[in-house]
Amino acid sequence: MRIVNPSFGLAAAGGEKIALKPVNWASDAIALVSNSKPNARELLAGIRDKLGAFRTVDNIEFLAKDSASQPAPKDLIEAIAGKYRGALLAIAD
Amino acid sequence: MKDIADQEVIDLEDMDIEAFNAFATDQGWSDGMPLYVPTEDKVARFVETVRGDNRPYPPVPPRQVIPTVQALAANAVMAGCKPEYFPVVTAALRGVLDPDYNLHGTLATTHSCAPMVMVSGPIRHELKINCGSNCFGQGWQANATIGRALGLMLLNVAGAKPGEMDRSTQGNPAKFTFCFGENEEENPWTPYHVQRGFAATDSVVTVMSGEGPHNLNDHGSTTGDGLLTTFAGGMATPGANTIYGKGPMFVIIGPEHAATLKRDGFTIESIRQELYRRSRVHASRISVENQDTYISTGHKPDGDWFTIARSPDDIHITVAGGPGKHSAFIPSFGGTTVASTRIAR
Repeated sequence: MRIVNPSFGLAAAGGEKIALKPVNWASDAIALVSNSKPNARELLAGIRDKLGAFRTVDNIEFLAKDSASQPAPKDLIEAIAGKYRGALLAIAD
Repeated sequence: MKDIADQEVIDLEDMDIEAFNAFATDQGWSDGMPLYVPTEDKVARFVETVRGDNRPYPPVPPRQVIPTVQALAANAVMAGCKPEYFPVVTAALRGVLDPDYNLHGTLATTHSCAPMVMVSGPIRHELKINCGSNCFGQGWQANATIGRALGLMLLNVAGAKPGEMDRSTQGNPAKFTFCFGENEEENPWTPYHVQRGFAATDSVVTVMSGEGPHNLNDHGSTTGDGLLTTFAGGMATPGANTIYGKGPMFVIIGPEHAATLKRDGFTIESIRQELYRRSRVHASRISVENQDTYISTGHKPDGDWFTIARSPDDIHITVAGGPGKHSAFIPSFGGTTVASTRIAR
């Protein structure tokens, strides 16, 4: 018998891969991005403290989505891409 | 040979319904209840019903694939729909694809939300969609399978696999199906779709990412004012997402309650105003830690009271159900919208 695949779909355009630049976690600017759930900031603060044991943390900064239930706005993503070489995301719950 | 996932049409050896269900479960296509077989000829009959709707579908998040009409129809077939239900299902899908509905968030969240599907207009009777007694419950093929078909689309096309992309902590029976009709005939005010700017003769599907219905029982009140006190008390719950993830909600008023409210001069607008004013949660009912969470995310109390809505506009009102002194409160995920789509025919 012939059936139609209920999960079939066409790939959306714009999913092209980009070349990633290497990140030097010992010195590069890092964004610590919270999903705005309770305790995400605390989790990231702990990571920042641990990073501080072996590198300067002056260029490690906290950022957050406007709302836990909404996607990160485009301008936040662009700001992260423009200013930082790496980003750590905390998905707290 | 192509992987099964890359094939729109799949050749299988003939098999009985049990064997097909085992195969479908292995593919991850099942919601756990028995499925009909989406044969090519059956799917074609469903596709015929939406020939008049040529608008393309956008990529469906989170999986971000553009569905074919055939694949969508296969889900409706598997759900047990009749072909004539399919335009309702596709209109519901278009609703959840409204960017403000936030489909990715509503599918990936730990919250229990599921798409509430409400049908308005003449098609309710043509398709025998239950708008009266037990309208949220079992017993009606259209209600049961239209909601189920949308759920299967979200599983199979959107990729909302429980425990993987669908991270709901406990889920919700409404994830199997949650579809009902407005009881326009016993609505003493304006039908919901007309409130939204559609013609009374239009058939419209409204979707909201909601919890299941919370019952609002009031057998004692004999006035509209009394009923609103009960409704507001039932809505003022510290455990609802909408107390800090502000968003829309529905109050589905039973016909007997609606008649009392109408008799006492209440309108849709005055009901919304009163429920917004009264359905607040006193700070004493919320832990200090949780108050800190609400306040830190921008939801400051009004004095000692936390509101459950941004404004009266968040409270959507309509009538459904049959005889009895019950109504229902359906809070949403919060970061979502109510989307109404005219059914293309």
